[in-house]
Amino acid sequence: MINITQLRYMLDETAIMLGRRKAAGLIAVVIMGLSLLILVVFLMVTLNIAEQIGRMSEEMRLFVYLKDGTDQALAGNIQYRLLSLPGVEEVSFISRDEALAELEQMLEGQEDLLGELPENPLPDAFKVKPKPESIGAAFFERTAAEVGKWDGVEDVRYGQKWFERGERLVKGFFVVDLALGLIIFLSVIFVIYNTVRLTVMQRRRAIDVMKLVGAGNTFIQLPFILEGALHGIAASLLAIALLTAIYIFSSRYLPGLTFMRYDALAGFVVFCALLGAVGSYSAMQRLLRS
Amino acid sequence: MSEQRIIAGVYHLSKRLGRHFSLEDISIQIANGEFVFLVGPSGAGKSTLLRMIYMDDRPDAGQVVVGPHVSTRMKRRSIPDLRRRIGIVFQDFRLLPDRTVFENIALAMKVTGTPMGEIKQRVTEILTHVGLYHKRHDYPHALSGGEQQRVAIARAVANRPSILLADEPTGNLDAMATKNTLELLFKINAGGTAVLMATHDIELVQGFGQRVIFLEHGRIARDRGMVYVGDVRDRIGESQISRRAQQLRGHDIPDGDQ
Repeated sequence: MINITQLRYMLDETAIMLGRRKAAGLIAVVIMGLSLLILVVFLMVTLNIAEQIGRMSEEMRLFVYLKDGTDQALAGNIQYRLLSLPGVEEVSFISRDEALAELEQMLEGQEDLLGELPENPLPDAFKVKPKPESIGAAFFERTAAEVGKWDGVEDVRYGQKWFERGERLVKGFFVVDLALGLIIFLSVIFVIYNTVRLTVMQRRRAIDVMKLVGAGNTFIQLPFILEGALHGIAASLLAIALLTAIYIFSSRYLPGLTFMRYDALAGFVVFCALLGAVGSYSAMQRLLRS
Repeated sequence: MSEQRIIAGVYHLSKRLGRHFSLEDISIQIANGEFVFLVGPSGAGKSTLLRMIYMDDRPDAGQVVVGPHVSTRMKRRSIPDLRRRIGIVFQDFRLLPDRTVFENIALAMKVTGTPMGEIKQRVTEILTHVGLYHKRHDYPHALSGGEQQRVAIARAVANRPSILLADEPTGNLDAMATKNTLELLFKINAGGTAVLMATHDIELVQGFGQRVIFLEHGRIARDRGMVYVGDVRDRIGESQISRRAQQLRGHDIPDGDQ
């Protein structure tokens, strides 16, 4: 069917197509690259927001305040019991003096406010750090309810409000984000598919000529499919280059910004190559049938 | 004289095209080495008939036979093989604008997987034959209409087809280019390739003594079925081809061209 010589000619054809139609190819790549940029910027923003939310919840702690005058033995007992609760990773003791020092630090410049106080009003406390996998409203509610009943415990506090409002907000955000992402994704696919199709259509006459001189379908198609794939790769690399520029620029204002993972970017390039190839192939099918 | 063998045949072909036009009961046989003019006014169905011979379209009834290919039991995948046995030339040349003269001709051989050495040799040979070897690196837009048509003809015969179909090959050409093109077709025919040339120009075909098929309103009005194999130029001389083209186009043709 296809011999090595023909295969070599098909590669030649691809090179000729790419080399002699640089302007048209460049325009196609830029159009595809810019629409892909929208997609990757969206993905990077989503990634960063998700990470930020994750970091915020990771910093959530449960504070167990002890009754005034609780002795060391009881405090030790409470610490031990806290540690053995499910989902607890770490329990640290914060003495009332440490708490006051921390407060003073927070009120830097207005320390005189504390000078008015007759004595340190702050209680001793335990700071409970949950295991990362058990972070969530359920853990805090359950633990607070249980620990609140213990002897020597005055009060248990955590970011109740954050969990009441924040969690719903986060869920809402992800639903909207997903919907938006889907729309962007479909639009980008549509743009790329159409750009590739137009590139093929522009060479309708060339395809007719190929058919007239007796070229088989594979001979006609392969160069176009390769061209589609190469355009897809070029467009994805353009999008990644622009994304990197955007990342570097915005990192100046938003330090700690996360870049896309390299394996995800590699997958993205492969995906774009496939998209270009499939777009080209399906556009060819119509032309070859006529 | 070589032995007569039918290399392309159309048998009781009918084809409906739109409401008002159809080809009806067309039968034509073309022997190897024959030169046939297919003449008729515009819209008589010449192009449609040719398209059915190179199987760009299928007849509603009847059949077309080219070499081993029979239209009624032909599979889509054997079309490339059929096209390689037929050379096709059009009024509008249909060269690829982004390929040089050499590459345009080489393409016809590349699709068959011919080794590059052989392609180079053959393309050089044909280009010399059509007098355009010195323009092998030019792009089509840099050539005159006549030169483009010679490139198209060169491409059509690259794979040594047994028959060359030419659809109004002189339609876009001036008198001199018309003469050169006709001469080239005669020359190719003299080499043993059958030629079927469609034209609306009845006067152009007179005086050569070739077989002329008249197509009118989708039917064969007349088939002067004489078969002559050999170089037309031996019989009528170059001056007559030149005179005919000149009469038809009303232009002077300088001597010593080509």
